[in-house]
Amino acid sequence: MKKIHTHTLNRSGHPTKKMHFLSQISAIALIFLLAMVPQLTAQQIIRGTVVEAVTLDPLPGVNVVVKGTLKGVATNMDGQFELNLAEGENILVFSFTGFETVELNVAGETQITVEMQPADLYLDELVVIGYGAVRKRDLTGSVASIRSGDIGKTTALNAEQSLQGRISGVQITTTSGAPGASAAVRIRGVGTFNNSSPIYVVDGVILDDISFLNSADIASMEVLKDASATAIYGSRGANGVILVQTRTGSASMDKPVISVTSEYGIQQIEKQIDLLDGRQFAVISNEIRPGTYNNVDAVPNTNWQDLIFDIAPIQSHQISVAGSSDKADFYASFGYFAQDGTIQGSSFERMTLKLNNTFRVSQNFKVGNNLTFAPYSQTVAPNAVFAAYRAQPVLNPYYDDGSFGVVYNVGNPLASIAYSNNKNTGARIVGNLFAEAIIGTDFLIRSSFGTDAALNRGRSFTPAYVIYNPDGSPSQQQNEFSDISKAQGINYNWLFEQTVNWNKSMDRHNINAVAGFTMQQTRSEDFRLAGQNVIRDGSDFWYVTPSYIIDEASNINMLNSIYNGVDAGQYYNMMSFLGRVVYSYNDKYMTTVTMRRDGSSKFAEDNRWGYFPSFAVGWNIHNESFASDLPFSDLKIRASWGQIGNEKISYFDRFSRVNSGLLAVFGNPDEAYVAGTYGKSGNPDLKWETTTQTDIGLEFGLFDRRLSGEVDFFNRVTDDILVELSTPGHLGNGQGQRVRYNAASILNRGIEFSLKWEDTISDLNYAIGVLGNTIHNEVQAIGGNSGIDSLLIGGYLANGQAVTLTRVGRPIGAFYGYVTDGVFQNQADLDSYPHMSQAGIGDLKFKDVNEDGVINGLDRTYLGSPIPDFVYGVNLDFNWRNWDLGIGLQGQMGNKIFNGKNVVRPDPYNFEAHVWDRWTGEGTSNTEPRPSFGGYNFLPSDRFIHDGSFLRLRTLTLGYSLPSTFLSRLSIDNARFYLKANNLITFTKYTGYTPEIGSNDVLSNGIDYGTYPIPRVITFGFNTTF
Amino acid sequence: MKKINLISVTMVSLILISCTDFLSVNPQSELTQEAFPKSASDALMATNAAYTTLRNWHYHSGGFPILDIMSDDTHKGSNPNDGASTIGPYDDFSYSTTGDGLDRWWTTLYQGIRYSNVVIEKIPDITMDNTVKERYIAEAKFLRGLYYFDLVRAFGGVPLITTTEPDLRAPRSSADDVYALIISDLQTAIDVLPEKDEYGSADLGRATKGAAQALLARVYLFRGDFTNAERYAMDVVNSGLYGLEPVFIDANGENGEHGVESVFEIGAVSVESGVGNQYANTQGVRGNPNRGWGFNRPSVDLRQAFVSGDPRRNGTIIELGDVIDGIEIMGDSSTPDETLDGQGNVIEIESYNRKVWIAGLTTTTQYGHNRRLIRYSDVLLMAAEALNENNKSAQALPLLNQVRERARQGNNNILPNITETNKDALRDIIHNERRVELALEGHRFWDLVRTGKAEQVLGPMGFVPGKHELLPIPQSEIDLSQGTITQNPNW
Repeated sequence: MKKIHTHTLNRSGHPTKKMHFLSQISAIALIFLLAMVPQLTAQQIIRGTVVEAVTLDPLPGVNVVVKGTLKGVATNMDGQFELNLAEGENILVFSFTGFETVELNVAGETQITVEMQPADLYLDELVVIGYGAVRKRDLTGSVASIRSGDIGKTTALNAEQSLQGRISGVQITTTSGAPGASAAVRIRGVGTFNNSSPIYVVDGVILDDISFLNSADIASMEVLKDASATAIYGSRGANGVILVQTRTGSASMDKPVISVTSEYGIQQIEKQIDLLDGRQFAVISNEIRPGTYNNVDAVPNTNWQDLIFDIAPIQSHQISVAGSSDKADFYASFGYFAQDGTIQGSSFERMTLKLNNTFRVSQNFKVGNNLTFAPYSQTVAPNAVFAAYRAQPVLNPYYDDGSFGVVYNVGNPLASIAYSNNKNTGARIVGNLFAEAIIGTDFLIRSSFGTDAALNRGRSFTPAYVIYNPDGSPSQQQNEFSDISKAQGINYNWLFEQTVNWNKSMDRHNINAVAGFTMQQTRSEDFRLAGQNVIRDGSDFWYVTPSYIIDEASNINMLNSIYNGVDAGQYYNMMSFLGRVVYSYNDKYMTTVTMRRDGSSKFAEDNRWGYFPSFAVGWNIHNESFASDLPFSDLKIRASWGQIGNEKISYFDRFSRVNSGLLAVFGNPDEAYVAGTYGKSGNPDLKWETTTQTDIGLEFGLFDRRLSGEVDFFNRVTDDILVELSTPGHLGNGQGQRVRYNAASILNRGIEFSLKWEDTISDLNYAIGVLGNTIHNEVQAIGGNSGIDSLLIGGYLANGQAVTLTRVGRPIGAFYGYVTDGVFQNQADLDSYPHMSQAGIGDLKFKDVNEDGVINGLDRTYLGSPIPDFVYGVNLDFNWRNWDLGIGLQGQMGNKIFNGKNVVRPDPYNFEAHVWDRWTGEGTSNTEPRPSFGGYNFLPSDRFIHDGSFLRLRTLTLGYSLPSTFLSRLSIDNARFYLKANNLITFTKYTGYTPEIGSNDVLSNGIDYGTYPIPRVITFGFNTTF
Repeated sequence: MKKINLISVTMVSLILISCTDFLSVNPQSELTQEAFPKSASDALMATNAAYTTLRNWHYHSGGFPILDIMSDDTHKGSNPNDGASTIGPYDDFSYSTTGDGLDRWWTTLYQGIRYSNVVIEKIPDITMDNTVKERYIAEAKFLRGLYYFDLVRAFGGVPLITTTEPDLRAPRSSADDVYALIISDLQTAIDVLPEKDEYGSADLGRATKGAAQALLARVYLFRGDFTNAERYAMDVVNSGLYGLEPVFIDANGENGEHGVESVFEIGAVSVESGVGNQYANTQGVRGNPNRGWGFNRPSVDLRQAFVSGDPRRNGTIIELGDVIDGIEIMGDSSTPDETLDGQGNVIEIESYNRKVWIAGLTTTTQYGHNRRLIRYSDVLLMAAEALNENNKSAQALPLLNQVRERARQGNNNILPNITETNKDALRDIIHNERRVELALEGHRFWDLVRTGKAEQVLGPMGFVPGKHELLPIPQSEIDLSQGTITQNPNW
């Protein structure tokens, strides 16, 4: 087979690769679509009526479709329909939400009546599982769903947050309260040292995050947890998969439905950190350095937290229209979201435009698109939280003349905010075009081409300024020359997928199979430039243009003001084959077999392809005759085993690269010369991470399914984890350089459950849901036989101290440091206990953990895990007449927080209030040492470890729907007013702004670096549809 | 249906054929090591790169001047809290095998060795001018010798790596083997490299024959081979290419960059990244003016080592209230001006390293200091010491007195010429001259160890003989080697 006939030739005569693949894809798609041209034959008309089987009432809006085609109609108000049937079109399928689907052979008939049985809504509900959907009763995997009703309950700053406390086995942690910040999502623990986030599949497009989505556009989200469910995503499924379906029009809509939602709210930080006031600080300072403040009663008392935090507005508005005709379904929406930060000078704004269309081109062929366009704008404030936490309360924010006052050591946070002009703007376009054709009666062929394009631009400008000391001399907080920087990043990926589905029911056999082929390219480019000495401060001049700075001090008299140019790009490709068979017998015994074969350019040729299989079985016990006496309305046991992969590593880790960006300095005067040499070694032997997951689950419904529940036990072992390890220094890779190896194993084991009780007492409908999961996280190996590092150090603080140590037998990112053992009370105490030379009376005692009689770095030990043992949620929903009340509680237990912001103290900063209870002499305190501005007592120790358990009233929603009798006169279907509160109350012992401290870096998790606090939000809104 | 099958088969085979193409992706805008160095300009880039390690912050004993801090010349410095638990232990010999900076220094020296090995191993295969090629290789050998010399003095025998593809489990070689490589590398450098005056002014800072001779003299001094030490030091002296700056401060300052006294120095530009050197910033004046972190604080003992009126004291120590280049040194508000012991004696005075001072207004300017690794006055003192040891004290005296003459700056009331010819007495005089002449330049600790005086001088500070002559092998390296690399005695 010659392969160049589709090539275009570039100037040098070589085939252009890009054209090659794109043309190949279009060719493949075309082939499939052409194969579906319908054939014309003789016609016959059939008429009929569809009725409800028990009452024999006519059913309007029932879908009547010729099997194996898209040809069909809906019944009218009297339950009647009429269809033209071609030769051979003998089987009609009648489907209607809430009823069992009916298939009928109508060969030779012209007039029929069809009875439809009310369905077991619960078990017949279709669950989307990736490249298809199965009835819940046939499901053998662990899949949890959340519907649009629940998604709207939080004032979701991003769509991921609506899962918080609603799905067992899923832990969502907001990483920062900054407007536009993302959330860290973990499904069934942390299974790798690399990116541990799940993948998202939005309407079939595989994505790394869904922050761009307007949660109101989401119809449902399914979380795929076990290997049976995720193996179809092969090398990308190991961290779990979240499938997102956005809204579409549907045939049951007899008119376009317009929905308007508008919300306005306010945000406020939950609490302030208790710090010393001005007088207390002066007293303590005098103890450390006698005579610093002559009159401690006369010092100012500035509460810096009051100055930087504000009450901030948040708003969200959205209008959508959805509808359907015999030729098309459509959904269009426009959303606007705006949030100001609780710290002045930070804000986020996003628009979303969503267009989902499906066109029925012919009886067995349809095409469609899903498209989201989401431009955003974000203003980023400098880290004023940390500065406000450290700023001495004895300093005034402003001098009498109104200029900014000096804040020693940390800078005046108000000045930092005022002089910061840091803005990010950009847009995300995610969408796909697809075509589906039905061939024969049982085959569905689907081609889809999806893209995800993100353009991000950043601009930062800081004018030249000086904050003066009280004596008029310039302080350290100054910017000698104005700074401008610009950044532009483009991320683009395309995904082509070709699948064939086969559905067949024969007697008691039910088969649902899919096979497919996919190709994907992910590409990113990054372009940055920075400069100094912009000619004027106004925004009209915020461009990086050349100017010269005369630097009299250096040997170089003129410095070009433009520096730090970056132009980097990278891409990688993937190719996959996938297949799955779901088979059930008599609705009792089910099995699912899945296989995916993935190839990725991230790995060298020998390790490029990985196989990811899974097997699962299920047994619907309630359908057995012996179970008919049991009180279960449904009872299912299922078990699965499978292997899935992870490949979220840098694209080029396998290559040993040349570092050509070095500069040597020679000559008199000193001049720079280009230099380049070997960078760190790559590892050509890299291969996929493999996660082997076993899951045993039980699903049940009791008391007519008023009580329903699901319990899963899972055991998840990830091997060959791609981990960057220190290499022996003599290899010459250089300080801090790490090389990636497949060299670690991690176990995550746990039980997850969700229970729900739903009932009605006269006018009151209520539901109580409880869910939770345990996680046992344990590193089983690091380094392996590679002869490399056996521990991973992480959690670096600003002063370079590391506070996490990952080693075999402990959880990932476990805290480590010294263990305190009280305070040295007197000289005898000091003399009798091993101590560092810097320790004195009144200082902390550190335990001699290795009992060698010396206190040094080797005495640092395990101090707890940032990963909670138990994560839980409680959800209560009440509906009474026109009122509805929803309460969502969320909590976790057993994790620790490292109060990192308290540790980094090279200079005299303010103190947390507990320092007031300091040691001042023998017997005064055995926990709080004598005060000092830093040094010995601030070595990472268990003094800074806090219990991270919390229980949070995450959501509280109260709604009132206007009576329909009143609304119908206005042609309005529904109108509801509501009040929502997020994070209203948090029960925790932790002293920081929030105990919810997340990080996307699994080795630096649970460290409170002084991050932007997550606000409390109170929102008023209304929603109407007509 | 048949048509579809045919098309499908065609399509599938098309896909399979192109799998390899589609999944073969190279790094963008980056070379892989197989493709470098291949040309004369690649060879120059690779040779230049071997020098860049010299400006790596970690090259300078892990970032902090721990060698001086371990000596009687200086204390930790900065304010009392800063680095108390990381750098403080070097002040009283309480550091452990996980001591701060040990791993950084070790890995960075080996990075320099790797960069040198790229040149030594790969450049011979490049087709280019042979003289230039030989010079590049000799420059790399000089640098490799320099890096190994730091390693062997600090840690003793270390893994001996002479290839770009070293063994993951390379064990420690003996110190003798390491010295043998250093000596052979430096001899090649002496044979091949041009003298300083044979380079153009744009190439100053490259390794020279004189630098290689001076370094080899230093190596032999540490080996106790005074014959060879004398030979190579005198080669430098007799070359006639070097002399002393008339003003002592210029020997380390901006005016003397690549000047007559400079035998080997590290060029740097006043820019924080890329072409700057943070060495001087680490030790720069802390507070007002804000020129750096203020580590490496001159000790009271060092002040007393200068005879009264020795101008070198002002050229070595910045005291509070000094005015330098029109800038008054106010110091740091979080550092006590004087620290007293329990009996009220002054044990530490806020002060800074004058030798790294560079004129300018910001911390950034401090990055432009050119650290002198070998000065001619050091060569003179090495020659004098070797001559004295070889029973040629009379020949040693003029060299020693050259150094003292410059130091006295024309003031004939101080620092008279030495006339002592008793070998033992002269040895002590030369050692003391080394201390005051070369203070804060990273020589003192090793000189004390080399001359067997460490126990006597440093013992009261915590130095334990048999242990502290060598730094411990970084614990991380021992862990990484899984036991292949063994620890030094008594650690």
